[in-house]
Amino acid sequence: MTDKLVHLTIDNIPVSVPPDTLVVDAAKQAGINIPVFCYHPKLHPVGMCRMCLVEIGRPLLDRASGEFVRDADGAPKLQFSPKLETACTTPVTEGMVVITNSQKVADARREVLEFILTSHPLDCPICDKGGECPLQNLTMEHGPGQSRFLFDEKMHLDKHVPLGELIYLDRERCIQCGRCVRFQNEVADDPVIAFSQRGRALEIITQSTPGFDSIFSGNTTDICPVGALTTADFRFAARPWELKAAASICQHCAVGCNIVFNVRREALQGGRMVIKRVMPRQNEQVNEIWICDKGRFAYHYVESPQRLTQPMIRKDGALIEAEWDEALDLVAKKLTAYGASLVTLAGGRLSNEDLFNLYSLTHTQGGQAVLYSYMAGGDLTAQVGIPPQTDLGKLGAGCVILVIACDLHEEAPLWWLRIKAAAQRGASLIVLNPRTTRLDRYARHVIRYEYGAELAALSAFQPQSRGDLPEPVRSAVKTFQEAENVIILYGSEGLGLQESKALAHACAGLLIKTYHIGRSNNGLVAAWHNANLQGAWDMGFSPINNLAETLSKAGVTYVVATDPAGDDPQLAEALQHSGFLVVQDILMTETVKMADVFLPAQAYMERGGSYTSGERRLQRFYPAVPPPGNTLPDFAITARISQRLGRTAEEQSPARILLQIAATNPAYAEMDYQLLAQVHEQQPLMGRHDLYYGGTTYENRQGLGAHLSTAASRVEPLNIPDAPPPPVFPVQEGLLTVVPTTRLYDRGSLLIHSNLLHQRLAHPTLTMHPKTAEAYQLSRGQTAVMLLEKTPYRVEIDLDEDLPHGIALLPRSVGIPLNAPQAVKLRPES
Amino acid sequence: MKKLAELYEDEIQVILAKYPDEQKRSAVMPLLYLAQRASGRISQEAMQEIAEILDIAITDVASIVGFYSLFHEEPGGRYRIQVCTDLPCALRGADAFLRQLCDLLGVEVGETTADGLFTIEEVKCLAACHRAPVFQVQNGDGLEYHENQTIDTARLVIDELRLRAQKPPGGAA
Ligand code: SF4
Ligand code: SF4
Ligand code: FES
Ligand code: FES
Repeated sequence: MTDKLVHLTIDNIPVSVPPDTLVVDAAKQAGINIPVFCYHPKLHPVGMCRMCLVEIGRPLLDRASGEFVRDADGAPKLQFSPKLETACTTPVTEGMVVITNSQKVADARREVLEFILTSHPLDCPICDKGGECPLQNLTMEHGPGQSRFLFDEKMHLDKHVPLGELIYLDRERCIQCGRCVRFQNEVADDPVIAFSQRGRALEIITQSTPGFDSIFSGNTTDICPVGALTTADFRFAARPWELKAAASICQHCAVGCNIVFNVRREALQGGRMVIKRVMPRQNEQVNEIWICDKGRFAYHYVESPQRLTQPMIRKDGALIEAEWDEALDLVAKKLTAYGASLVTLAGGRLSNEDLFNLYSLTHTQGGQAVLYSYMAGGDLTAQVGIPPQTDLGKLGAGCVILVIACDLHEEAPLWWLRIKAAAQRGASLIVLNPRTTRLDRYARHVIRYEYGAELAALSAFQPQSRGDLPEPVRSAVKTFQEAENVIILYGSEGLGLQESKALAHACAGLLIKTYHIGRSNNGLVAAWHNANLQGAWDMGFSPINNLAETLSKAGVTYVVATDPAGDDPQLAEALQHSGFLVVQDILMTETVKMADVFLPAQAYMERGGSYTSGERRLQRFYPAVPPPGNTLPDFAITARISQRLGRTAEEQSPARILLQIAATNPAYAEMDYQLLAQVHEQQPLMGRHDLYYGGTTYENRQGLGAHLSTAASRVEPLNIPDAPPPPVFPVQEGLLTVVPTTRLYDRGSLLIHSNLLHQRLAHPTLTMHPKTAEAYQLSRGQTAVMLLEKTPYRVEIDLDEDLPHGIALLPRSVGIPLNAPQAVKLRPES
Repeated sequence: MKKLAELYEDEIQVILAKYPDEQKRSAVMPLLYLAQRASGRISQEAMQEIAEILDIAITDVASIVGFYSLFHEEPGGRYRIQVCTDLPCALRGADAFLRQLCDLLGVEVGETTADGLFTIEEVKCLAACHRAPVFQVQNGDGLEYHENQTIDTARLVIDELRLRAQKPPGGAA
């Protein structure tokens, strides 16, 4: 910022701020809280509520000379407007004098509050917002003790209006500030709620199906300054002052949003600590002050009755509860016997510390450490990923963000928000995808390619310029070549593991060739489907192509935090053939049912650890609730097995494991838990005494994490393996090629336990162009049977004219094991 | 019910032609007039159709319908008789006038006569305070003002509207 600062005084305190700063924000920086309702620092100001009225004087300018008019002692002569002005819509000007503590201002505040309260029910004792309510707090501070209006003349409106099944509206509590409507318009670009009627009759409506159809809807409950909007999850669930806050990281995608688990003791649960709600925690470099609804509502698995809390051993065909020692001794015995034929299969929700211990065990046994994932490229992002000082929230003109094979809105919601905002700030967004996604609207260039042709589509961006490119590719390539900074983000749209690997290589190769590596705001990002897949790669895990075959040949299989048998009958069969099966998990799954030994782990909010986000930001999460029964953290279980094999392994402290990681992995070299716990002041200031300013998002006091370096940013030689052979897109006469897509609300093994989201979960629906459906004699709504590796699956047919011809889309994780494009036999259900 | 696009194909094209393509949401008001002309009210289906034509959210369309008191979501009579009962009119006897009008038509405020012709509504200031009692008649095509009313003059208006209703639609307005 080289812009000159503007100087003014607020209540006699001199303040210097950049031009265009609003008076309300300038005051905030001087430590003066001007009360607001409709203003929010993340939204455009509208000046609707009049709560922020202040006195403003401006120095008189002499028109002829352009100089300030001065009085006898040389001070500029001030001209005060005859009326109070709204601090939220007035930008600062040089020499401005703002008064917020006069009687006139106090009167205005009192009157505005009295007016707002003429038709507010004041049912604070039963209102969920009570205790963290801007209206309540401001009334106590500035409001009249008594109203001159008649209580009986209050307008009474509906109190329990479901805007959808997730968000409830109390119409009479709404003070018509419009924050929720503006958030949905400006930030989420989902204008699915709006005002209807006028004056006192004004009300929030939604007409979408399902109601309030937005994956960001929960955020409106954080910024609503009253108890008008509440989540179905937290409604009447607890009082805010009973809640403790435990800092954590969202576990449901690669973004790594900073969150807080609000917990309290619950009599109904026998006095146990339970999670009452999930709230965003500010991290301007990750999620700002928002989270998506999956992150907000998908924690309920932790309290599922299907939690397993006691080790089990198979005896006479049945899993029987056992003691830890007995179970671990048995595992150690088998490992000693089968040595190198160990296959460890790990899921991407494990922490770095868990994965490090798992990898050490597997490695020293000479076994194979396999990641359960359909995406590849973690070795590449570790080398040419985006390095420290990169901030999606600051990207603007001069930056190109190229998003390929990704439905970002579904795969990483907060990145969608931030990349949309970057494009609105002037960054050039290039979207390459086989079908329309919600990112297209902000893209400078949209390039469509056929499913399977992602490599060809990307090859146009190679530096050897060719004159014969068709539009829109030509202009996109031009934009790309002119860019100072380039970030490439790839997802999993229509890709399987092999395709993902080939694409990641192509993207990395392009970045290397065009020198967009090793510098901030340049590099490769993967929209991983789990929170810590990047961490898993960094700890030494990677996925393999022939998983079923590998599992079936294993002497000992150690499956941790994943359910291959539940996902795919082929993998279930492979596990039948594999030798001794050790399963470590938190819930009952199909894989657990097959186990020879079961080891009960703790959910991540029951212990501490760290995750590495898709941007390669290392972030720490803390225990929020005590672990149930006889469970142990994953890293401790693995450590105990290692110890039984005569090795040392850390089983007490994840902090110490991170130090071991730091000693072995150069990207983690400077990392420790103290560093991850560091914070600095972030703008806008959140969660302080003046909740009315930013809402109920938590201030970050527990750590902003740290961005990991990449091989390129450390200027180390790169080690890029040869590009894998390009996969062949399966097309076969008489068969329909089905490609997998990723959906936010899939039927994943954790999500499925949150009843609240059930209505929004994806279904096994095969979506295709009407022409394609016609060719297979299918129609919308019909049920068809799809043969996958000889197993029949029922799918419902849906039509979409925007899709390319000749293929069909199927969401992942809806009970059908399709993780790569595949030509399948399809017939109408008889 | 017929889609607007079938009923008013040409009109819709003429309306849309007035706005640049990236600003076509501005056509929402004229399209809503069309919808109300077609059926005397704006149905859910019509809002959906308009949202699709203009590529905006149906919630936004509904919000506009809700904002303007002359757009109606609920079905009503062919003629909506809207009587002002705001303070200045009340001082000139609007309440008594409204009562007489209700009795004359045999319905209460908000109700529609059995023949489907008239709905009586109470409205805020119509900007004719000095000529109260005043009412306006809203039908598919627009508004007519009737000022300085007594129940006898109102009866004439109503008779005239009854006659008009018998003529085939599309006749003299
Ligand atoms: S519901 Fe809340 S955020 Fe929305 S307008 Fe009303 S008071 Fe404001
Ligand atoms: S965007 Fe991803 S990390 Fe953030 S809340 Fe949603 S699922 Fe969690
Ligand atoms: S008018 Fe300024 S905060 Fe509402
Ligand atoms: S008050 Fe009735 S017309 Fe003005």
